[in-house]
Amino acid sequence: MHLFILRRLNGKDLNKVFKQVLGWLIAAIFFFPIYFWITVSIKKDKDIFALPPKLFNFEVSFSAYEEVFGISRFLYVEDMGAVRPGGGDFYMMPNLVDSIIIALGSTGLAMLISILAAYSLSRIPIRGQQHFMGWILSTRMMPPVAVAIPMFFIYKNIGLMDTHLGIIIIHALMNLPLAVLLMKSFFDDIPKDIDEAALLDGATRFFVFWRLIVPLAIGGIAATAVLCFIFSWTEFIFVLMLTQTGLKTIPVVSTSFVTSTGTAWDNMAALGTAAIIPAFIFILLVQRHLVRGLTLGSVKQ
Amino acid sequence: MTSQKSYSLPSFMNSDSSLPWLLPLITMLIVFAIIPFFYNIYLSFHEFVPAKRALLFVGWDNWIRLFTDGVFWGSLKVSLYYTFMCLVIQLVLGMGIALLIDSDDPGFGIIRSLLTLTLVIPPAIAGMIFLIMEDANYGLIPWLLKSIGLIGPEDTILADPTLALWGVMIVDIWQWTPFMVLILVAGLRSLPSEPFESAVIDGARPFQVFRRLTLPMLHKVIAVAVLIRGIDLWRMVDYVFVLTSGGPGTATYTLSLYSWQRFTFVQWGYGATISLFSLIVILIVGNAFIHFAKVKW
Repeated sequence: MHLFILRRLNGKDLNKVFKQVLGWLIAAIFFFPIYFWITVSIKKDKDIFALPPKLFNFEVSFSAYEEVFGISRFLYVEDMGAVRPGGGDFYMMPNLVDSIIIALGSTGLAMLISILAAYSLSRIPIRGQQHFMGWILSTRMMPPVAVAIPMFFIYKNIGLMDTHLGIIIIHALMNLPLAVLLMKSFFDDIPKDIDEAALLDGATRFFVFWRLIVPLAIGGIAATAVLCFIFSWTEFIFVLMLTQTGLKTIPVVSTSFVTSTGTAWDNMAALGTAAIIPAFIFILLVQRHLVRGLTLGSVKQ
Repeated sequence: MTSQKSYSLPSFMNSDSSLPWLLPLITMLIVFAIIPFFYNIYLSFHEFVPAKRALLFVGWDNWIRLFTDGVFWGSLKVSLYYTFMCLVIQLVLGMGIALLIDSDDPGFGIIRSLLTLTLVIPPAIAGMIFLIMEDANYGLIPWLLKSIGLIGPEDTILADPTLALWGVMIVDIWQWTPFMVLILVAGLRSLPSEPFESAVIDGARPFQVFRRLTLPMLHKVIAVAVLIRGIDLWRMVDYVFVLTSGGPGTATYTLSLYSWQRFTFVQWGYGATISLFSLIVILIVGNAFIHFAKVKW
């Protein structure tokens, strides 16, 4: 058996095995911090701070999740007064709900605007189309701070400060360049003959768009929506600057676990893990279109 | 716009004019991108005066202050260094990994899937992950570096003026190298195989093939990846906010963080001026790059 393996490992085969090993090693290095973070969420304090780090041999405890999701509120009512690092409340369900509302709302808004615009950019050329696309792309370059500072004053004046609607609009704006350019690339993939044949048969533009093209592009629409959702879900600086007390999404609220009396690492990790797992599932679902999405539609897989 | 009565809007949108289709987009961009831009210019000529509790016109004061402010020049240097170093490291590392895992052998599909995972982690939470891993007392990374003797027993990463920026950059490199890998793998996979086969038959060495064939054929893909990554590196604020808040001292202030920090110190006009500077730089450099690298959308 041994000899057989050795014989197969010569020359090209050895090269292949080496590539496999190196490939998995690299994947392991990139996955390690995620694994480590998940273990922090189910460790007890003494194991979190252990050196050398305990990667496998730690006591498992789900109390951090119970606190974050508010299960402990029902289970251990008598512990409510206990002093914890930060002295605070780790009940995060309202923030999860805020995050979901904002991500869904901004995705819906961005998709609605971008599908209409992308269809038109793909099918009805306009004068100065290149400049228009360049303008959209330039919007993608704006540093969030440069938008958020003036937005802070505008929102204060029109009463959108600290509201779901305000954050939904700004996240939709942030995702518009991605959504428009990506949807245009998906529409460009659909032959224009379909439109022209239907228009010759007397169908209206909107009918062609809504009944023929949108159903054909549904895979691309789903992939674009998932990316918009993820970018809104992970966004930090707009929420930080355009909310004051009421409304905080997950990335922003998780920084509040660091306080002068200590850091509640297990709770922070539990919330972080809860926030990244849905994103993992989503991204694996649209993996086929991921590269096209990350390059705003310009590199196709 | 779709919640309208289904018979009224179609007639509105049936003409072959693109205006009704583009109108929502244009409205949105004007109201939420153009107006804030001009508002920012307005702010950069005003400043909040605490004694009068009002935003007053100050002329070019903010701009003069900008060019004489040592912290601003420091943060500009940090932003440039951060953007350039991360870009180079991510591109080189990404290309190496892409060449390695560009293969149809079983297993490499799973490796590619695993590499997509870092991309969807909220950057603020990625910062948190490394905050505990780089903690001075019980962090994994300082412990490892101390065991192999790279840093002294009393050294820290995030509290050290020279190491802190690298402590931040390592997060960016970890989270976004896979971005480069995935794009470059997609580029490599779309290359035709004939030129490579004939090059191998002609006896070209692997490095020659890479330099003379692979790189030129990938230039468009590389340009797009560099453009998008470069923009995001320049705008980055989450990691420094979480890991160092710009410290120790001002060693890890980037332009965005410094601008945000001035803003929270009620120097609204000056904060706006810094952010406007950062915006103008990226607009000029980004569009010049698009022009000269002939990137097309």
